[in-house]
Amino acid sequence: MSRKRKRVQVRLNRRDFAKIAGTAAGSAVAAYLVTTGPFSPFGSLKRKQISPEEQETIARGELRWGMVINLDKCIGCEYCLRACSAVNDVAPDKPWNIVMEDRTRTGRRYFFSRPCLHCQHAPCVDVCPVQATYVREDGIVIMDYERCIGCRYCEVACPYDARKFNWEARKDENPYVPTWGTPEVERRPRGVVEKCTFCAHRIDKGLEKGLVPGRDWEATPACVNICPVDARVFGNLNDPNSQVSRLIASNSTVRLREDLGTEPSVYYIMPREQELSS
Amino acid sequence: MTAISPPRKRFGITLGLVAWFGLIGLLLLIGLVSAFFVLRDGLVITNLSDSVPWGLWITIDLSSIALGAGAFTLSAMVYIFGLKHFRPLVRLAVFVGVIGYTSALLTLVMDIGRPDRFWHPWVYWNVHSVLWEITWCITLYLTILLVEFTPVIVETPLFDRWPRLRRLGHSIHRVAPALAVAGLLVSLLHQSSLGATYGIIKARPIWFKPSMPIMFIISAVAVGPAATMAVALIIEWVTGRKTVDHSLLRTIARFSGLALLIYTYIKFWDLAAVSYYAHSPGAERAFEILSKHTPYSFGFWVGEVFIGLVVPVVLFLVPRFNRNPLALVGGALAASLGIVINRWNVTVSGLVVPQDYFPGSGYQLAPGSYTPSLAEWGVALGVIGYILFAFTLAVHFLPLFPKGVD
Repeated sequence: MSRKRKRVQVRLNRRDFAKIAGTAAGSAVAAYLVTTGPFSPFGSLKRKQISPEEQETIARGELRWGMVINLDKCIGCEYCLRACSAVNDVAPDKPWNIVMEDRTRTGRRYFFSRPCLHCQHAPCVDVCPVQATYVREDGIVIMDYERCIGCRYCEVACPYDARKFNWEARKDENPYVPTWGTPEVERRPRGVVEKCTFCAHRIDKGLEKGLVPGRDWEATPACVNICPVDARVFGNLNDPNSQVSRLIASNSTVRLREDLGTEPSVYYIMPREQELSS
Repeated sequence: MTAISPPRKRFGITLGLVAWFGLIGLLLLIGLVSAFFVLRDGLVITNLSDSVPWGLWITIDLSSIALGAGAFTLSAMVYIFGLKHFRPLVRLAVFVGVIGYTSALLTLVMDIGRPDRFWHPWVYWNVHSVLWEITWCITLYLTILLVEFTPVIVETPLFDRWPRLRRLGHSIHRVAPALAVAGLLVSLLHQSSLGATYGIIKARPIWFKPSMPIMFIISAVAVGPAATMAVALIIEWVTGRKTVDHSLLRTIARFSGLALLIYTYIKFWDLAAVSYYAHSPGAERAFEILSKHTPYSFGFWVGEVFIGLVVPVVLFLVPRFNRNPLALVGGALAASLGIVINRWNVTVSGLVVPQDYFPGSGYQLAPGSYTPSLAEWGVALGVIGYILFAFTLAVHFLPLFPKGVD
C-alpha cells in the first residue's frame, strides 16, 4: 500500500506536446544563452554547481521541500500573492497565498502570509475518497485534477483554509498577468478543488535540469523568488546544509496549529515583540 | 412456492388524484429545472462557498439515509434476532430504505463538482477516507436492499408471463438471513461513519469527538423504524385498507421511544463534556460565535431536543398517546424533523465557525454564513417529488404488505 505517489499525470495530445516541447526547447536554449551561456550578462547570477553530496541526496530521493517565512522581515507588499496568482493562473478572488495584517500578543503589528503548508500528516489527504490529493515522496501535497470528484471534503478538513473550489468555469482575465509573471500551468476545470503546489512544476523541471530548488530561481516557487525582502526561503528540509535547515536551526520557529499533529512543512520565524522601554 | 398475484387495479380518476399527480408533477418539474441549471452553470448558483462548502444537500443525504435505517433495523430484528412478528413490516421498511438511499444518491450527484466522475470511489480507493468507505457502503447497501426487494417486484402481474423468473426472485427468501447480516454490518458501518465524517475533523473543535458516530447511528436506529411505522399508517389512511396490525406499530413506536431515550442519554453527556465542562478554548469560542451569528441554541433546544426528542418520546411511550395512530404519526414526523434539524445543525454550524490557525492575536477570519439558494431548494423539492411519486406508484402496484406467509 503506497499512499505516496511520485508521478503527476498530465494528458497531452500530440499537438500540445509539440507546442510545449518546442516552447521548452526554445526557452531552454534562450535561458542557457541569457543566464549561463557565452553571451550571459549575468556573470554573478551564474548558477552554482551542485555539490557531490547534494547530487547524492537528490539521487537517493531524500528530498523534503519546505519553506521558512520570516514574519519579522515581511513588509506586507503582497508580491508573493501576485506572483503566485500569475504563475499558477489563480482566480483573483481566491488566492492560494494570503497576506493578512496581524498583531503579536503585545500588540506589535506585522504581516502574516500563508501558502499551503504541505502537511506530512495532511488531513485533506486522509479524507479524500478517491486519492485525488496525496503527499508526494518529496513532501509536496498535490492535487490530481483529473481524478477529483469535487466533494469538497478536503476543503472541510483542511485546518488552514488552504484549499479553494472551482465553483464555475473560469472566464476571468487574470489581472496579475503579465505584470507579475505568466501562467506556467493550466487553469483548473470547473468542479475540482485546487491548491498551492509549492510550484511543483518548477521543481520537477528544475531537478531534471540539475538545478537546486531554493537556490536556482528557475526551480524555486514564484512567491519565494519575488519576495523583495527575502522573507520567504525555500529548500530541502532533509539537507542540513540547505538554507531552510540552517534558518530553522539558528532561529526559534513555529508551525501553525502544531497541536493538531499535521506536521506542516512551512516554518515561521515570529516577529520580535515590542520593546518594553518607555 | 405459489404466489398469487393481486388482481389488476386501475386508477379511478378523481379530482383528488389529479391534484395529487399535479403536485408531484410540479415538484418533479421544479427539481428537473433546478438540476438542469446546476449541471449547466455549475455549483456557483448555490449559496455554498469555500468557507461553508456543504449545506442543504448534505443535510438531505444524511437525513434520508437516517430515515431509511428502518430497513436494516427491522431486517435484523426478524432475520437475526428471530422476532418473527415484525415480518409483515419488513417489505415496507426495505422499500422506505430504497427510497431513502436513492434520494441520497440523487442529491449527492448534484452536490459533487464532477458528477461525471461519480464512479471514481469504486476505481480509485483511499481506504483511509471515511467518505470512501461511506460511498462503498451506501452503494453496497442499496444493492442489498434492491435484492431484498426483488421478491416484491416478481409478485407483480408483470411477471405472470415469466414464472421461472418469479421463482428465481422468490428464491431470494432463502438467503434473506445472509442478506440481513450483510445489511446490518454495512449499515452499522456507514450510519456511524456518517457521524465520523464530522467526528474525525480535528481542526473543528465542535465536531471532533468520539460521540459523533455513536449519536448518528443511535438516532438513525431510533428514527428509521418510526418513519416506516408512520408510512404504514399513512398508506392505511390513504388506501382505506388495513395494512399491518396496529399493536405491531405500537411496539415499533415503543422501540423508537426507548432508542430515542438512549440517544438523549448520550447527547446529554456529550453536551455536558464538550459544551459545559470542557472550557476548551476552541469549542468555547465556537459556541460564542454560533450564538452570536446564528440561531444555534434555538435550533438545538427547540428543534433537536424539544421537537426531535421530547415530543416523540412522550407520544411513543405514554400509553394514552401511543394507542392513537394520529399521535404515532405525529411523533414520527416530529422525530424525523428533529433528525433533519440535527443533521443541518451539525453540518452548517461546524462550518460557519471559521478556522483559527493564525499565529497572532489580532486577525480572525469572519464567520461563514449560509442560506440555501433557489436552485438548492429546487433540487430539494424535486427529491420530495421523487419520494412522493415512488410511494404513490408502489402503493398502487406493489404488494408491499404480504398476505399470509411471506
